[in-house]
Parts: sequence; structure tokens; C-alpha cells
Amino acid sequence: MIVLVTGGSGSGKSAFAEDTVLSFGEARRIYIATMYPFDVESKKRVHRHRNMRAGKGFETVECYTNLKELLLPKDSVVLLECMSNLVANEMFQKDGAGERTVEEILEGIRDIAGYVRHLVIVTNEIFSETAIYEGETETYRKYLGEINRHLGELADEVYEVVYGIPLCVKGGSKDEKPLE
Amino acid sequence: MELIIGGAYQGKTEYAKKEHPALTWKDAGDMCEEELLAAEGILNFQNYIKKEIQEGRNPGKIGELLLQKNPDAVIVSEEVGYGVVPMNAFEREYREAVGRICTKVASGSRKVTRVICGIGTVIKSD
Repeated sequence: MIVLVTGGSGSGKSAFAEDTVLSFGEARRIYIATMYPFDVESKKRVHRHRNMRAGKGFETVECYTNLKELLLPKDSVVLLECMSNLVANEMFQKDGAGERTVEEILEGIRDIAGYVRHLVIVTNEIFSETAIYEGETETYRKYLGEINRHLGELADEVYEVVYGIPLCVKGGSKDEKPLE
Repeated sequence: MELIIGGAYQGKTEYAKKEHPALTWKDAGDMCEEELLAAEGILNFQNYIKKEIQEGRNPGKIGELLLQKNPDAVIVSEEVGYGVVPMNAFEREYREAVGRICTKVASGSRKVTRVICGIGTVIKSD
């Protein structure tokens, strides 16, 4: 099963994604870390996420680019966080996929989803604001948007997490959770 | 505690006042911590967080404090975390702080409503 988790900045999407992994029960749990720790701020961020995961039984695998070369244990439950970093890495790092970012990442996702037990993917909502971008930032938005749409199609369940509240967009308990 | 959220100019304030006509409403951008913890209806909560960071204080605990000391408050806050990660470090800190703090407030709220186009959708109701 593929679960896609999206949300804005500081929305609690990571915590929800981790809970989703735990909800699948006992399994070998793999965390694909994608944030390249290049400065103090990103190091702090990595540290914060490590603390959040502590005690939940995750093995961390770093993957900054070239997802499709990654070999994961069969039958594991995998959490990939976060697609927004992976896209930036593929676009801007030396060994990244550049113009083939979308295809390469989707190929990697399909590949992994084909042999692991469950795949939970965290992505990011960065598409609703007034600022106008151009050049590589606009391309970045376009690539991430394209990937998110494909992931939405591939996923069995899609959630948008709003301040810690998961709103089901596809599959799951969408039709069972009546709200006023 | 009740939380009403949404993007800019979506009718959050009007919605909140209509839902709670008896409350006294104040803008959080002009409040100190003490006033915030005593307020009935809080508008533009995000501006309180912005002001605190701008003035060199860390507002990180305000969500917990509100839940403990002002549990009957109704809080209206603008969603600011749905754009590309800003180049400016202050903007990055501010928008993430709004997210974390509102997540805390939402966790202790009996009701959370998201307003879009003037229409409120209840996304949490205990």
C-alpha cells in the first residue's frame, strides 16, 4: 500500500506519517532521509526529526539523489521524507537528475513500491501563495506539483494534515468519518 | 478552546463573530502575553507570533499556555505555511512557528474550523 501525506510548514505531517507507519504493526521500519545537512538550520531540522523518530524502531537510510538505485529490505515498511527535499536535491545537486527529475523520482518510487510492504511518502504543500517565482524556483514548483499529482494517482490513501488534523483526500476513512 | 483558521481574506473574522456574537474580539498583534491569556476572542493570532519573534522573544510555549490558562478562548489565525520555503530566515522561522503553535492549539481544541470563501468546514469536533 502507498500512503501519501501532505501539508504545509509545521503542520504535523511528519508525526502523522510516523504514526501511519506504526499503525501497520510490527515490521522492519526504514526511514529514507532526504535532507542534506548543509548548514546549521538543516542540521537542526535533521536533529529534530531524529528525536521525533527515536524509540519507534526506524533504521535510517540516507538518500539525497538517485532513489532508484536504493536497495531496501523486502517486506519492510518504508517512510520517505520528504519529497520536497528530494526534488530540490535532484534539481540542484551535482549528481542530480536535473531536467529528468520528475521521471527519475517517479521511477524510483514505483520501483520501491513494487517490493516493500508499505510505502508512506511525505510531501509538501507549497502551491498556495501570492509570490510569483521564475527560473529554477518556478521549475521546482512545477516538478514537485507534477510529482505530487502522480503520487496522488499511485497512492491508495492521500491525507492533507492541517495543524495535526489529518484530512483524508483519497481512500482510507474518507467516507466513514462524518464531520458536521 | 476553539480554533478558526484559513487563508487571508477568506472571511475568518466575520465567520468567528457570527458564530460567537457575545464575545469581545481583539487583535493579537497588539497584545502582550498577559492580555492574550485573558482575551475572549483572539483575531490575527499569527500576528502575535510574528511580533514576539520580531521583538526577540520565543513564542514557542504560547500554545500550551493558552490551553492551560485561557481554555475558553476562541482563536482566529491565518494559515501562512503553504508557499515555497522563504529565502528570508525570519520568514522561515515565523511560518514554521505559526504551524507548530497552531498544531498545539488544535490538539487541545474541542473544535477546529477552516474557512474558505467565507464558508466554514469543521475539521475537528470533539
